[in-house]
Amino acid sequence: MTLDAAVSSALAAAPPDAQASDSGGRPVRSLRRQAIHDTLSNKRARAGLVWISIVAFAGVFAPFLANSYPFLIKIDGRISSPLLRHLSRLDIVLLIALAAAIIIFSRRHVRVSVKWAAFATIIAAAALGSRLFHAPGTNVYDTYRQLQRDGKIQWAVYAPVRFSPNDRMRDQPALRLTPPSRHHLMGTEANGADVLSRIIHASRIALAIGLIATSIAVVIGVVIGGLMGYFSGRVDIIGMRLIEVFEAIPSLFLLITFVAFYGRNLYLIMAIIGLVSWTGDARFIRAEFLRLRKQDFVQAAIAGGLPLRSILFRHMLPNGISPVLVSASFGVASAILSESVLSFLGLGLVDEPSWGQMLNQALNVGGAFTWWIAVFPGLAIFLTVFGYNLIGESMRDALDPRLHGIA
Amino acid sequence: MLSYLLRRLLLVIPTLLGITAVVFFVMALAPGGVGASLLTHEGQMNPQQRRAMEQYLNQRYGLDKPPVVQYLRWLNKVSPFGYRDRADAKRGLPWFKSPDLGESFSRQRPVTALISESLPITLLLNVVTIPIIYTIAILTGIQAAKRRGQLFDVGGGTILLGLWSLPTILSGVLLIGFLSNQEYLRLFPTNGLHDIQADAMTFLPTTAGGSFQRGWLLDTLWHLVLPVVCMSYGGFAFLSKLQRGAVLENISLDYVRTARAKGLAEKEVLYRHVFRNSLIPLITVAANLLPALLAGTVVVETIFGISGMGRLMVEAAFVRDRELVLSDALVIGLVGLIAYLLADICYVVADPRVSYDA
Amino acid sequence: MENRFGLKDLIQIVLLIALIVSVWLSMKQRDREFVLLQEIQQQGVEQTRDFVSIRRALQDAPRIGAGTTTQATEFGDPFRYVKEAESKPDFAQGDWLVDNFGTKVPKLTPLISSDAYAQIVQARVLESLAYQDPTTLEYLPLLARSWPRSPDGMVYTFQLRQGVTFSDGEPFTAEDIVFTYNWIMNPKVQAPRERAYYEKLASVEKNGDFEVVFKFKEPYFESLDLASGMPILPKHFYGKNTPEAFNENVGLLMGTGPYRLKNPSAWRPGDQIELVRNERYWGEPAIFDRLIFHQVETDAAELTMFKNGEVDLFGATPEQYLLLRNDQKILARTQHFEVSSPLRGYTYVAWNQSRKGQRTRFADKRIRQAMTMLTDRQRICDEVLLGYATVASGPFSALGKPQAAPGLQPWPFDPEKAKSLLKDAGFEDRNGDGVIEDSQGHPFEFKLSFPAKNETYERVILFLKDTYARAGIKMELDPLDWPIMIKRLEERDFDAISLAWTGGAETDIYQMFHSSQMKDNGDDCMSYQNPELDKLIEQARSTVDEEKRMPLWQKCSLILHEDQPYTFLYNTKSLVFIDQRIRNIGRSKLGLNYVSRFNMPNPWYVPKAQQKWTR
Repeated sequence: MTLDAAVSSALAAAPPDAQASDSGGRPVRSLRRQAIHDTLSNKRARAGLVWISIVAFAGVFAPFLANSYPFLIKIDGRISSPLLRHLSRLDIVLLIALAAAIIIFSRRHVRVSVKWAAFATIIAAAALGSRLFHAPGTNVYDTYRQLQRDGKIQWAVYAPVRFSPNDRMRDQPALRLTPPSRHHLMGTEANGADVLSRIIHASRIALAIGLIATSIAVVIGVVIGGLMGYFSGRVDIIGMRLIEVFEAIPSLFLLITFVAFYGRNLYLIMAIIGLVSWTGDARFIRAEFLRLRKQDFVQAAIAGGLPLRSILFRHMLPNGISPVLVSASFGVASAILSESVLSFLGLGLVDEPSWGQMLNQALNVGGAFTWWIAVFPGLAIFLTVFGYNLIGESMRDALDPRLHGIA
Repeated sequence: MLSYLLRRLLLVIPTLLGITAVVFFVMALAPGGVGASLLTHEGQMNPQQRRAMEQYLNQRYGLDKPPVVQYLRWLNKVSPFGYRDRADAKRGLPWFKSPDLGESFSRQRPVTALISESLPITLLLNVVTIPIIYTIAILTGIQAAKRRGQLFDVGGGTILLGLWSLPTILSGVLLIGFLSNQEYLRLFPTNGLHDIQADAMTFLPTTAGGSFQRGWLLDTLWHLVLPVVCMSYGGFAFLSKLQRGAVLENISLDYVRTARAKGLAEKEVLYRHVFRNSLIPLITVAANLLPALLAGTVVVETIFGISGMGRLMVEAAFVRDRELVLSDALVIGLVGLIAYLLADICYVVADPRVSYDA
Repeated sequence: MENRFGLKDLIQIVLLIALIVSVWLSMKQRDREFVLLQEIQQQGVEQTRDFVSIRRALQDAPRIGAGTTTQATEFGDPFRYVKEAESKPDFAQGDWLVDNFGTKVPKLTPLISSDAYAQIVQARVLESLAYQDPTTLEYLPLLARSWPRSPDGMVYTFQLRQGVTFSDGEPFTAEDIVFTYNWIMNPKVQAPRERAYYEKLASVEKNGDFEVVFKFKEPYFESLDLASGMPILPKHFYGKNTPEAFNENVGLLMGTGPYRLKNPSAWRPGDQIELVRNERYWGEPAIFDRLIFHQVETDAAELTMFKNGEVDLFGATPEQYLLLRNDQKILARTQHFEVSSPLRGYTYVAWNQSRKGQRTRFADKRIRQAMTMLTDRQRICDEVLLGYATVASGPFSALGKPQAAPGLQPWPFDPEKAKSLLKDAGFEDRNGDGVIEDSQGHPFEFKLSFPAKNETYERVILFLKDTYARAGIKMELDPLDWPIMIKRLEERDFDAISLAWTGGAETDIYQMFHSSQMKDNGDDCMSYQNPELDKLIEQARSTVDEEKRMPLWQKCSLILHEDQPYTFLYNTKSLVFIDQRIRNIGRSKLGLNYVSRFNMPNPWYVPKAQQKWTR
């Protein structure tokens, strides 16, 4: 955590002409294709990508991977699926979103409009479905364990991990803080919940925080940086002061102040992380736009009387976005770290599982060192952050024209 | 150069105004208000006492005024010139007065005193950490550049990146858990910067009285080991990468070709010529590193129970101590801005090709 | 090229820095020596002064001899327990007692410091007129010898001990007490809390050098506690400061007590807190040479310090207690105690009966009773607090004075009866979704607010969530930070809230259950009122005679039991480990036989053979 702020500011502090000097002549699009290819062919980036795909998979299919309710069950000759009945709206929306994403990205040759139509239909169906859908209001997780003990269940199919993240094993109070065992592969935490199950479900929050916070940062950064770069002059000076203001206060400090004053709300935390980390992106976009502004195709667009929005976002942005993509990848990593630091300082969530919050618990369980609560979520944070950083670094290498000649 | 510096210095003022304004209004607009946590005594205080406290705070800090007025009052108080109250109107030049950072709500002490207690501790941590980061980063960077593409370069780079990704909260917890716990190894102290008996120790290690006594200096160093490890490992990756890049860039330049053509040994070329020039980017980055490290000590100080700036900031935010939060922001902001300014100057000094007067 | 930065320059710079650092370090070394030297000189000066006064005292011996510091008075002997300890065969003076505070103490100066830890330090250095004996709950004389009470209970006349000096050798007189009272009441002194507390006093006046009269505005059952608990500040030491200077001074601490700071005005926050024996103490000399208070904050670090034997006292969480009790090494080195004490108070859930002018569903007594019966408090005590707590029957502890009605039992855990009560009140599951609804179809949902960042609360509240879910009640968690919580409490803007009160030997319930506290941000935040209870509370508070007061409190306890404005959850036990070498640890009504918050002399000691710190 110590240095990510330094990295982004130092990246930004590198003289802008160093980036601009080389790529000017070549056609930009093919450079980007090349960069994507380079990134993907890098073994380390692929390893990072694989891990993040695993995390994403765990996030989307979390209820099917770890759940106290059986997937299929036969009681008194009737077959039912308590797991499906207890799916929350969020679970269903995620699944539908995944389906939509697959449709959109798989069939390349379908016309764009058809894709959008399919997408819209799915979203509409999801909205309608979630209206009609009615999950039970309260969860009594040990219902089926009790039925099983009473011998009322003929057969049942369970999820691979047979515990929900909030299933605090009220029927087996002795199970709290047990080290890893056959039933609980990663042990149990202070309230008796299964650590593995919580890690799986927490991947949602980690990914969401990373992606949403970074998107917010990128949007703010692109808009402010773009305006600064395009207009330069006075707008640029004011913008630079704004950037300096936000850079001079360490973002972690600002983050803690925000959260300490406005309370612990997941969405708020996402928004605030985004709000304090846009400066690097703004600097990159500004530098790119300052360069692009003088190039012929932009001058042509201006001369052609295109509206500002079109010039900024259709012509300039696609050509200047690459460094932002690199920094976004590091940004996701540092957003995940920020969340974990907040949780660690006791400003995180209470009921819902999050990796940082679990790590915090490891220290606070009476000061006794329960290594399994520290190591596993810590490892999850580490691997995910490492994954994003690997991808980011490979992307940077691929985009850095200076390294092509030598390395 | 001089006019550039002057311009930069003048621009520091609006930036500082911006910093304090952002922090002030974040606090002033928050639900629950500033300083409210002082109204309870560990959550319990009878209503009578609570009202007494509330009145006292309102009167003392003007908390019942609208936020803009409060902010202006605060600005007036901290700035070296402005409206003066009657008490010190008699002394000195008109409109000039001594800046006053105010008094912390929660600790009821002057903020200046609190900061002057905490800042040296944090700076000490950083002063020990930065040289370590640099030494290791430079060495690995040069080696990586020398063996680029080989296992050392790729593997080392990946390991350093991994270290960068390793959260301090995890490493700190594990280090304390395993290295200073009696159940495992008890190698290092767990907490603070000094031993209980540090005050009674001699300053330097002695063997007087037959047995070895580590003395105050060594004791402090011993307490510093784990915090410094936690603060430094994350820095290697980035700086080492920068050093590697700089060396590689320099190797491809003409003067190196000349030096090689001249028949100099490879070692000579690398350490006499390339090394110097490759240090430039690292020097300039040093200044940028400082503010980040200042913030980064928050976690380390929390885990190891060291009362530096980081702790001060976090605790001030937790209890909504307005004066303290604002002054922390001001001080950290000032340190940051000065560091950026130094970075620019270093850049000019280190690399005569750059000029800001164009 | 030559003006560029090179390896040689680097080495030069490093050498230069090394030089500067070593100069600085040697200066620091000199400085430390200087401080030590000063300390020794100061000791020399004080010793000479003592010498002179002893010589003078010897010359005047016959005059002083007549009963100035006779220690026992008709009101009792303050050193009863210390004398008992001294009579034991292995008794020895010496050694240090090392404790840890879980936080950094910001100030030691009395009045302006409000945290409990500073109070513990102050209780060793400052003394009050009398202290409450934790075993008998009677008051034992300390700086006072006796305190006859006027028949109406509104005037106390304290006779003071003679021949007592402060730790710097200056004599203690009635003037110091009057000064202390006036100082507290001075609006410029930053002690609004204490001022509000002493508001009940009409005046404090001296009558000669060794008699002080405390007059109260009205009869008040805790008047003796209030008057005798005031810590006496030396006028010559504190009075030389202006109130402003006093407010800003963090380390001013001197009194008549058995211990003193080495330098009564030099302590700074972050410094080690170290008290040394006050050699001029008027009573039985303190047993330990030094008291050390560490200020280690992290749980893990605290525990490690204890395991490593660096601290003598360790207050464990239930978690830690369980773990440490199974640790052979710890067992061999320490003794452990599970201590119940009325001082620990109780934890509760308050059900808000009126929100934004509207009566809530908790205004119905049946529902409050049902909520209590749904709360399996025994399981909370056993599972969450690991058995180190007992179910609370009401606000009065069974361990203090007999305020609770004899035989009063907490409501049992009875979900069936609770369900039928809820059904009577109109709540049952009408649409089969597992949540119970009222006749209009509003589901029984509520948010339970509780202080954030507190592990125990979190775990208790999570448990409540799961138990209420079984009864078809949907509860959501609402962790609040203090500032926001206070605001919500003031606006009465919550469904239910879980908090804790601390207690004492006798607990006053006016603050939370009297209906006058419903308005003006009073602590009856749940808008509970019962006229009958109001009358009883008022009566009890103005009854100075304890015999007559207790039956009134007992009637109150029965009303509260029936009304259940709170669901009283549990009384916790404190779990203490104390180093093996410390002896004479016993029990009292208020916990152990030594209560660090009180002004009582510490009767613990370490036998000579086991002393660790005295070389």
